[in-house]
Amino acid sequence: MAAEKSFYRKNFALIVIFLLLVTVSLVIAWLLAYSLIKRNVENDFSSAKIDVQEEVVQPYNDFFQNRIPEISFYQGYLDSSSVAKYIDTAFTRYAFVSKVIFYDTQVSNHKIKDGLRVNKFAIGPKVVMQFKRNTKPVVLFTSTHPHTLSLKLADEFNKIAIKFSAYIESADTTKVLSNDDIFNTFYAITPNRITYMNIPRREEIRIYKDLMLKEMPFSAVYEQDVLTFYIDPLKLRIKNPHPELYQNISIRPLVYEELNNNPEFISTDIPLPGALADYKLYFSSLHSYLNKEINRRFLPVAFMILLIYSFLLGIAYLIYRNLNINSKLFKLQYDFINNLTHEFKTPVSVIKIAGNNIRSSKQLSDKERAHYGKILDEEADKLNDLMNKLLSFTQIENRSIKLKEEEINLEVFTQNIIDAYQIKHPQFDISFDIDEDITYFKSDPVLLSSVFTNLIDNAYKYSPPDRKMLHISIHRIKKNILFKFTDEGIGMEESELKHIFKKFYRIQSQYNQQGSVGLGLAFCKELINFMNGEITVSSKPGKGSEFIISLPDDYSL
Amino acid sequence: MIKRIGRYCLMCLSVLLVQCGYQKKAKTIPLEVFFQNPVKTSFRISPDGNYISFLQPYANRLNIYVQARNGKPVRLTHEKEFNVASYFWVNNDKLFYTKNSVDKRVTQLFSVERANGNVTDLLPAGNFKVLFLNQSRVINNELLLAINMRDSSVFDVYRLNVNTCSLRLAAENPGNIVDWLADSKGQIRVARASDGVNETLLFRNSENEAFRPVLSNNFQTRIEPIGFCEKRADCIFALSSKNRDKAALVELNCSTGKEEKVIFKHQDVDVTGASYSQKNGKLVYATYETWKKQRFYLDDTLKHLYQDIEKLLPGNEVSIVSTDSAQKQLIVRTFTDKTPGAYYCYTPANKKLVKLGDINPNLPAEEMCAMKPVSYKSRDGITINGYLTLPKGSKTKNFPVVVIPHSWPHNRNSWEYNAEVQFLANRGYAVFQVNYRGSKGYGKQFWAAGFKQWGSKMQTDITDGVNWLIENKIANPKRIAIYGAGFGGYSALWGATFEPGLYRCAASYSGILNLFTFIKSIPPYYRTSLKMYYEIVGNPEKDMDYFRAVSPVFHTDKIRVPLLIAQGGKDPRVNISEANQFVKEAKKRDIPVIYLVKDEEGIYFVKPENREEFYRNLEKFLADNLGK
Repeated sequence: MAAEKSFYRKNFALIVIFLLLVTVSLVIAWLLAYSLIKRNVENDFSSAKIDVQEEVVQPYNDFFQNRIPEISFYQGYLDSSSVAKYIDTAFTRYAFVSKVIFYDTQVSNHKIKDGLRVNKFAIGPKVVMQFKRNTKPVVLFTSTHPHTLSLKLADEFNKIAIKFSAYIESADTTKVLSNDDIFNTFYAITPNRITYMNIPRREEIRIYKDLMLKEMPFSAVYEQDVLTFYIDPLKLRIKNPHPELYQNISIRPLVYEELNNNPEFISTDIPLPGALADYKLYFSSLHSYLNKEINRRFLPVAFMILLIYSFLLGIAYLIYRNLNINSKLFKLQYDFINNLTHEFKTPVSVIKIAGNNIRSSKQLSDKERAHYGKILDEEADKLNDLMNKLLSFTQIENRSIKLKEEEINLEVFTQNIIDAYQIKHPQFDISFDIDEDITYFKSDPVLLSSVFTNLIDNAYKYSPPDRKMLHISIHRIKKNILFKFTDEGIGMEESELKHIFKKFYRIQSQYNQQGSVGLGLAFCKELINFMNGEITVSSKPGKGSEFIISLPDDYSL
Repeated sequence: MIKRIGRYCLMCLSVLLVQCGYQKKAKTIPLEVFFQNPVKTSFRISPDGNYISFLQPYANRLNIYVQARNGKPVRLTHEKEFNVASYFWVNNDKLFYTKNSVDKRVTQLFSVERANGNVTDLLPAGNFKVLFLNQSRVINNELLLAINMRDSSVFDVYRLNVNTCSLRLAAENPGNIVDWLADSKGQIRVARASDGVNETLLFRNSENEAFRPVLSNNFQTRIEPIGFCEKRADCIFALSSKNRDKAALVELNCSTGKEEKVIFKHQDVDVTGASYSQKNGKLVYATYETWKKQRFYLDDTLKHLYQDIEKLLPGNEVSIVSTDSAQKQLIVRTFTDKTPGAYYCYTPANKKLVKLGDINPNLPAEEMCAMKPVSYKSRDGITINGYLTLPKGSKTKNFPVVVIPHSWPHNRNSWEYNAEVQFLANRGYAVFQVNYRGSKGYGKQFWAAGFKQWGSKMQTDITDGVNWLIENKIANPKRIAIYGAGFGGYSALWGATFEPGLYRCAASYSGILNLFTFIKSIPPYYRTSLKMYYEIVGNPEKDMDYFRAVSPVFHTDKIRVPLLIAQGGKDPRVNISEANQFVKEAKKRDIPVIYLVKDEEGIYFVKPENREEFYRNLEKFLADNLGK
């Protein structure tokens, strides 16, 4: 028995290993995801600063790329009153512009007291004015008071004047001004200062070149505008598009270093461009602050992994359930073979004993011969019956037999079966009643009697000797004929009822110790299904059972 | 089955209908046909009448060809870089011709021998501009030229000997003379001086005398000397708007400065010019332009001559462009609104007309569209004239419209063949041209009404015109584009900036972006006119706020419609770095901009390939944005 048991294995170890593996993978996946996200956040911390820089520098860029070149649109016609309007809008729009110096500049080949002369080419301020936020403009210099232009004030002017003169000297007036020329000549950008001169048209450049290189009478005076903007980077508005990464953003001098030794504290920086180049954007956060962000990003990932894990578990459970059912089936088959062997063993051993007795006795009396003959005949019938049952059951199951329909007189048919049982078991009390209008019923009589004998056998088998009673009633309900088999036997538990029509299912009971295969009811159910009918059961333990068969009646119409 | 046949018939019918409709529409004529160089143009006849010359493309540039009577045409010049801009016969053996630099600020003058094609450069090296006085009147082998050689800002008069090619100063400009006039003997006796705002007419009896002022007037008043009366030495013919709104042709006494009599005037428009015969010192006809150019004859012989020619060429506008010295043969040019016309040789003796050639023979005149004069009232009640050219076809309403304001205020649109207009009409657009206030030819008042109104009333006149088209259901209000060159380009950008919703797109061809730059660009030799420009356009220092308010370059943020901007790199009126900045900002605001820059070109594209590229872009731009 033990050897046979090992034939079909439920390998729990495998399942446990599988579960273990999946769980370990879950943990590893979580750990991996966490460390990746951590690295990702740390990378973001050092790379997202470009976004911040873009945001912060954006107004500066707008000022530099759009508002400053606008000076050129005025073509040198700006004077103290019109420039004030221009500067006013610059002050209101751009908080970081702290001061503007306006040099109303004249170009000629005259002799000038203040300014720059290259050959005959003279470039010098006529008026220098200072504009400050919320204060009245101050005139710092006028050419009517020569030699009062201070070096400090002249510094920015000279830078651009020298660049411009150098450009004029070598300018190719046949070509269109390139962007490089424009940037290198008309802008002077130093930290915190942008000086710009309006870009003259080509015609003027040609004239200026002539002024420089040719001997000419005193020329007309040409106007240029030079403006110096003082920029205060600390006034830039800081916007933080990544509040999840940066706890603090500030503008600091380029040389600034954080002296905080707190290991929890991390920082990064990025220098500002152009005239803001003396300063940098300084970013800092605490580790715990970043951890919050890491957790925020990790949570959905962890949940996703968990979801995959539970999915795997679900599949594992399904596989386990399948295995379980298979193992039950296997057990049923095993029981069946066991029973069958038993079933065959009894008649075979009876036949064997009878045979042995016949062989060993020298003489057989008539009585003995009749006795042995009867035994042999009966046991052979039993074997045959058993085999027929098996065979027909397989046939029914495979639908390989055909209904041989005949017209059956149900009353006669039932009475015959009952009569046969009364002869066999005189103490078995079988009664029956039938509706008067039911006469003929179309069905296969062999199959129908098979159903009857099975149910009557069962009723006999599962009744205590003093209560061997069965009542069969046959009624018509609508288009169906109802056959009720009501006994007063041992009955069944509620929980057994759903199993009794299964193959090889046997109720553990003293009434079926010999000669039960667990096929009878399954066979009945198959037969009735085959005849397009239904079978149901109700039962109470100790009180008895009632089987109801419903078969369609063709004559009911 | 019957149903199916019925349906089939219906289908056939609709196909037929569609084809009929299609046939009514104009054939699409290739772009090149409109904008190619003329095949043969500028026919002239030699003084002895034995040769006929003309300009014809060679290597895609106009060159001079000469053809003897019954002979084959021979090419005289071989210019490959620039077209021959103008030419004329100085005598039977020699022709002079000019070429212009891209910006038209430098003129080169050459002579070419008719017999062997020898070319001589007539001017010393340097960058000058040349103006002709008494063109094609060679007196004593000498030709009068005004050249800004001594000082680029002033023109002196020189005598150029056509045989020796020597140049000799005839009159030095004290600095304020803007115009000279010589009499039939080649004596410079009349001049016009200007201080920028006020003009003075100067007169002398002979070159030995000094000029003396005859009368002075503000620049708004026009006194334009035409010629000398033969009857009296101190009498000249002139166009004058002194004490009147519309200029008239008058006889002026230069001793008293008084008008002796009014020879011709028109109640609606200025007299635009007069033809004067130097030979007999008589006026031949006066010209004026109502909806089309017209002549008022003052000489019966010529009147009959013109009437004879017009009889032979019905439905055409004709003009005599060249005659031999005996006036036995004439070169006649025709034109209409549908064709640039043809040249004919006419012999008055036998009234015979011989066709010399079409200016653009590839252009089918029957496919061109009629140009009709229209007029409407502006919002302040001024009558504005214009022209409307509707595309061919059965449609009469709801056209896609291209508005083309003319390129320069001191000018006007005329009834004539216009390649641009016909090209766009052929592509299915109605073309609307406007003589907005400030246009010349409608009198002093109308002209002065445009002063300092470049970005205001002159523009609202255009807007009013467009609204007038919409009210009269001519324009589909959702399919209107504005396109123009120079001032027209400025108007286009102004419309795109300050008339939101009116135009679907705007195309500017060398349009003025910035009035500051425009004022700054007035060349040194117009310095005297600067004050006048300050009055006409505005003073960049005093009117700075106004300039800023109406210059598109300051207002890119207001533009919402797609733009096409074509720009020559050498255009002095537009700073190319400004145009770049403008386009850059517009693009940054996600406005689709097609930006066409030709570094080597000036105000307008001169090279045919550049011109063609521009129009190809314009065609696609309009098609894309007007949904065709």
